[in-house]
Amino acid sequence: MLQIWVPRKPYYVHVYQEIWGGMGLMGFIVYKVKSAGTRSNALKVLSPESAHGHH
Amino acid sequence: MNENLFTPFTIPMMLGIPITTLIIMFPTMLFPTPNQLINNRMITIQQWLTKLTSKQLMNTHNPKGQTWSLMFISLFLFITSTNLLGMLPHSFTPTAQLSMNLGMAIPLWAGTVVMGFRNKTKISLAHLLPLGTPTFLIPMLVMIETISLFIQPLALAVRLTANITAGHLLLHLIGSATLALVNISLFTALITFTILTLLTILEFAVTLIQAYVFTLLVSLYLQDNT
Repeated sequence: MLQIWVPRKPYYVHVYQEIWGGMGLMGFIVYKVKSAGTRSNALKVLSPESAHGHH
Repeated sequence: MNENLFTPFTIPMMLGIPITTLIIMFPTMLFPTPNQLINNRMITIQQWLTKLTSKQLMNTHNPKGQTWSLMFISLFLFITSTNLLGMLPHSFTPTAQLSMNLGMAIPLWAGTVVMGFRNKTKISLAHLLPLGTPTFLIPMLVMIETISLFIQPLALAVRLTANITAGHLLLHLIGSATLALVNISLFTALITFTILTLLTILEFAVTLIQAYVFTLLVSLYLQDNT
């Protein structure tokens, strides 16, 4: 049986280096957005008037 | 069909657990792996289509850019298969979620930009200023080009999300309008049904085109930076 699988290691190690960096940037953005959402939910639970700002 | 217009876009849950990951992994089961030199007809057709697409997409790149061909073909196949599977009634389309498309667009775009800055710093910085601008316009134009550079991942993600979501929503609306009109006026219902048929054909085209556009734009960003 012919083995025609392409070895993936050089892709992950060399070619996609910048994409891993991009994934780190995306993870950072996801962390920021999620923490902002959690913070606003926590504020809503604690004090509804301070969460909506002072009008 | 559904109780409100939001139900096709909610995260599908099974016993309280979101099964989005399973749904995203499902289209891979539809592409069998070739494990012989000459395979059966199904795999041969898929191989032929893949070769056609990859040649079309990658022949304008230099060898460094062509190392990304595996990534582009997987991206194209993934978006096409998830969009086409989303055309089935009551199915969930992962690419209609902005979070997913941002997750695809940001790493790929950032990868091309970082690659450009790493390997050809001067040339990628020079892309920020078009040729032949008058001297006094240079500062403003650099700012505008920087903004347009940073908008690229957002535009990629939002374009795909909006096209798929809007298409699904239109089909829902016109379908329910047709159903409601059947009791009121059959002729108008027939007209709306014709519109529905045409829209469905358009939707099938859109699924393929959007996948192509996404991949093409990322490959363009890559070309600029290799």
